[in-house]
Amino acid sequence: MRKILITTALAAGVMAYAGGFRVSLQGVKQLAMAHTSAHAEDASVAFFNPAGISFIPSKLSVAAGGFGVSNKITYQNTSTLQQTETDNPLGTPIYAAVAYKVLDNLSLGFSFSTPFGSTIEWPSDWEGKEIVQKLELKSFFFQPMVSVKLAPWVSFGASYIYAKGKVDWTKALTQYNGQLNLLDDTATGHGFGFGFYFQPDNKWDVSIAYRSPVDMKAKEGKATFMVPSSLLPNFNGGTDNFKATLPLVDEYTLGVTYKITPKWLVSADYNYHGWERYSKLTLDFDKVAAGNQPNDPTVLVSPKNFKNTSTVRVGTQYAFNDMIFGRLGWYFDQSPYDDKNFIPETPSFDNYVITGGIGLKFNRLGVDLSGAYAMPKSRTFNNPNISFAGQAKAKVFYFGLGLSYNAF
Amino acid sequence: MKKLYISTIAAALLFTVSCQNDFENSTEDVVVTSGEANFSKYIALGNSLTSGYRDNALYIDGQKESYPNLIAGQMKLAGGGEFVQPLMADNNGGMVFGTTVILGTKLYISGFSNGLPVLKNVAATPTTDVTKKITGTINNMGVPGAKSFHLIAPGYGNASGILTGTANPYYVRFSTSNTSTVAADAAAQKPTFFSIWIGNNDVLSYATNGGTNTVKVNDVNTYVAATVQTSVDPTTYKSNDISSPQVVAGSIKTVLETLKASGATKGIIANIPYVTSIPYFTTVPYNAIPLTAAKAQALNTGLYQPMKNALTYLGAGSRLNLVTAGQNPVLIVDNKLTNLSAQLTAVLTASGVPPTKAAMIGNAFGQVRQSTIDDLILLPASSLLGIDVVTGQPATDTSEFVYGASYPIGDQLSLTKDEAANVKTAIDAYNSQIATLASAYGLAFVDANAKMTELNSASGIQWDGVRYSAKFVTGGAFSLDGVHLTGRGYAIVANEFLKAINSKYKSNLPMISPNSYSGVTFP
Repeated sequence: MRKILITTALAAGVMAYAGGFRVSLQGVKQLAMAHTSAHAEDASVAFFNPAGISFIPSKLSVAAGGFGVSNKITYQNTSTLQQTETDNPLGTPIYAAVAYKVLDNLSLGFSFSTPFGSTIEWPSDWEGKEIVQKLELKSFFFQPMVSVKLAPWVSFGASYIYAKGKVDWTKALTQYNGQLNLLDDTATGHGFGFGFYFQPDNKWDVSIAYRSPVDMKAKEGKATFMVPSSLLPNFNGGTDNFKATLPLVDEYTLGVTYKITPKWLVSADYNYHGWERYSKLTLDFDKVAAGNQPNDPTVLVSPKNFKNTSTVRVGTQYAFNDMIFGRLGWYFDQSPYDDKNFIPETPSFDNYVITGGIGLKFNRLGVDLSGAYAMPKSRTFNNPNISFAGQAKAKVFYFGLGLSYNAF
Repeated sequence: MKKLYISTIAAALLFTVSCQNDFENSTEDVVVTSGEANFSKYIALGNSLTSGYRDNALYIDGQKESYPNLIAGQMKLAGGGEFVQPLMADNNGGMVFGTTVILGTKLYISGFSNGLPVLKNVAATPTTDVTKKITGTINNMGVPGAKSFHLIAPGYGNASGILTGTANPYYVRFSTSNTSTVAADAAAQKPTFFSIWIGNNDVLSYATNGGTNTVKVNDVNTYVAATVQTSVDPTTYKSNDISSPQVVAGSIKTVLETLKASGATKGIIANIPYVTSIPYFTTVPYNAIPLTAAKAQALNTGLYQPMKNALTYLGAGSRLNLVTAGQNPVLIVDNKLTNLSAQLTAVLTASGVPPTKAAMIGNAFGQVRQSTIDDLILLPASSLLGIDVVTGQPATDTSEFVYGASYPIGDQLSLTKDEAANVKTAIDAYNSQIATLASAYGLAFVDANAKMTELNSASGIQWDGVRYSAKFVTGGAFSLDGVHLTGRGYAIVANEFLKAINSKYKSNLPMISPNSYSGVTFP
């Protein structure tokens, strides 16, 4: 077993991860163990794998939690020697889940989560202002689910995903001494998830899950062109509608937990993200010719060229006694684009993260605390699509508080 | 034991990656140095481009974004000294000589009409008085309007020569004496570093005046063909003649020698962009006359067919073709054509046109032809095309003579294919001499022509997501006069200078971000 662990850890070092605007913060306890998935102690498993709710050791379980994400990106231009830091607000991803065993072999569940999002705020006069001054992306996933125990040791679960989203993007229109704001808070999308969960014996948990892509469609987006008044006639009076689709990409997860001793468990996960789906962003304005397509001047296409990514996670938990649990983890997350495609509205880095936390159990109530420190690799980039070059680095810190209650 | 393994592995992985989190070199720790150069006293020599002229005037905000001032700002990071510019008195531009206004105010966009900007001069009396001398150090010695030989012309800064045209009011403001030269004044300041970008006007005024010189006859301007000079005596030149390349090269050489004599041997020189790629020449297309089928029919019957018949009779039928529905070429005056005024008048009279009208048409059409894609229609023509010749107002259905469509625009408003070729030939000759001088004097060299060609290309120049082009108003790089740059355009130029200085003198002056400076101002 030791050998396996070591191999896994080493393999993780050369593998890649999910970045972009996927925020892997859907379980406080899970985060403490590198956000690994094969943990079926309470309802928080619902997001990770709908099949997991069949193995929750109580009839009714609820779980909820929230995180604080503090991050700061620093950009430096090696040619002008200018350095710029973001002034990002604290991100606050949250989640809640409930699971109920209707019958011994049939469970129903519901998960609410915010698995994709990003808020970045650069100084309004910074060098990349034409690309982004401020961008807020939010998503809310509502997932009803059902899980069936096919045998005492295996279950199958499936969920439907209804997603709501928000985009609020402000950037400079330097040539017109103005600004453009793109706002939509009525975007919706649909998807599904399914998985198998195995507990072959009291030592092993194995979780296999898939979550489909969700294309968030903004149909009634509002574009506000803040330009000098003489130019307003060229911008439909300053406001216009736009349509756009932002893909929230699919995720494959394979997770394993092994109890080395009754008190000590180790977990490992592998995720695969289909970021290739985000190859370009198309903004289709109603009337304003703010586009770049020769055959349709109202359509603006920006190449994004994302590529699929993998994530490897390793975590462990030690039970000091029945009440107190200590947890540690480590994972590696890969940037979904290479240096030629770096974009400052969603800066991404190859990212090593260490995690840790404690869990407290008071009878049926679980209280979990966790924290994580990310060590993104600084990068040197030159994106010819937007003629934007330089170096970027990031500092990221997460902390979370989670509650779970296994009622009966 | 097992735990130990895991933590050891984790620690090892952490260690291997942690050192890559920070920048290898923080830009905040970069020490900017002057290399082999000394920037403590930088003097800039040149013309309007060097002065920061834009929107057809020199004014304070424009001067602050002159490329020498932008360069000097970076030099200050590496021991550069103060950079004093002969700032104008206001932000409107223009100048008075006592109480006489001798130069007008700057252009601004007053609004849009049919999607096109309406340009006006600021309604204000200039407050910069040429007679108020500026003394002391002057680092930016760019003199709007100066040609190469003006930099070494004594008396170019003598107020009494302003009205006679031998002096330049911009130089008069800071000349050290009535007989001083720009070059000698520069040398006397003992620059440790200099820049020189001169020669543009030696060919630009020819181009912007459509290859003509203005001659006043009975107080009315007439336009006669300007000369491509081969004479080496510039005192014989008329104002819009193309200077001989020998004069340009000789003048620059004299400036460089004058500077060298004062110990100033380190500097930078720029060559001359093809002036015909700037918006002043590229904004109005040769076929700027839109006609409906009915209008084309009417014009053919009333003018083009009879005129073509007459010209064909006179052996010059190729000057005109019938017009068609759609875009049609502008009627221009080409001074290379034989003047057929008398013959046309006679033919038209003989065909029954009333004598006064025949004379009027004959007079106007003596050297007229339709423009071709190789001719350039100049920017000022845009406000004339479609105007009724008689009323001076936009043409109506009853207008008989309309500029461009049924009446020629003046010779000074078009640069014909031959004239444009003269311009290019001259610039090529200047640039080959400037390159030679740059290497002979060991100076850093800026290929401004290449940069402007890039700006004029289909993709333009993109900087941090902002795309600049040589398009009028919307391109962002050129100011409202269509010849001079905006602050952003000057910043693009400044970066070329900075790059060339760094490469020649092993300095590491940082670039500047063009997007941070001012572009075209919209109301």
